[in-house]
Amino acid sequence: MTPNWPVADLDPVRRLAVLAEAIPGAVFAEDVLDAPFDQVWAVAGDLENALPALLTDVRSMRFVEHDGERLVAEARSHLGLRDRFDVVLRPGWCLMQSGRLIGGMAAVADGDRTRFGFLGGLRLPGTRLAGPALRRLGRPIGRRFLRRLGERVAEVTG
Amino acid sequence: MSEPDRVELVRAAQRGDALAMQELLTLLTPYVGRLCGPIALADGPDATQEALIVIFRNLRQLAEPAAVFGWARAIAVREAVRVARSAGRARPSELPEVPAKGDPQLAADIRDVLDRLAPEHRAVLVLRDLEGLDEQTVGGLLDVPTGTVKSRLFRARRSFRKAWGR
Repeated sequence: MTPNWPVADLDPVRRLAVLAEAIPGAVFAEDVLDAPFDQVWAVAGDLENALPALLTDVRSMRFVEHDGERLVAEARSHLGLRDRFDVVLRPGWCLMQSGRLIGGMAAVADGDRTRFGFLGGLRLPGTRLAGPALRRLGRPIGRRFLRRLGERVAEVTG
Repeated sequence: MSEPDRVELVRAAQRGDALAMQELLTLLTPYVGRLCGPIALADGPDATQEALIVIFRNLRQLAEPAAVFGWARAIAVREAVRVARSAGRARPSELPEVPAKGDPQLAADIRDVLDRLAPEHRAVLVLRDLEGLDEQTVGGLLDVPTGTVKSRLFRARRSFRKAWGR
């Protein structure tokens, strides 16, 4: 008989928090939203509609390539800047990266509610040195994203 | 995943490629969770998270990407013992030492055995029985002399059998 050793698991929100700790200057915010996982992810995972609504800098986002959970998306800012993102998207998990930016979302059911994590970071020279300052400056972005997501989920689900 | 692919994945993660970091995290999390679970028990998820943070924060210092699992193992075991200790849940161990390899009670109720051991002794058990490491390597990983590991294991046979034989 083989012993049945206990195994520890790490849910997607905790995994995203690990990445945020490892990415210099990355911002991480977490909250529990008052809606079931399916409803929350139906809103958050619809990147083409969600990100322009939830992030002030994004005017549009459009998928240009699609291969399973790997996608390529083109984003435009309100100033007209374009960015091309490699994206991994599956239920409860999204990580996206361009030459300049990193973004991530993770969600896990918490009873009838949803624990949700947000990650934002820069990929620019000097972020390692400026990490602590960037984290302080970026904190409101994460909180704002989560507040808007909660409002949008409430709107959609009525 | 082949070894060359894994080495390339580690190198990309070391360069700060977030998608490679995510893939490496997916690869390492089950392994780290298997090590931290039996050592930190109820605090297993916390220990796994803490261990992975240390692993990914220090990834650039890993000189041999092919050795990523062995390197991660040393960090995971150390963090699991630390988290289990600092959580203050550790009960005074009823089993003062680690049970002998192949003891049937290990297979019968490993959770009960783990509950009755101190975190450091759970670590010896995990490294020896789950990871299949020899006493010298276990001693090196836990920073205790091989003789200490050997004597603990030797004395363990008697105390464990006594505890279970009641």
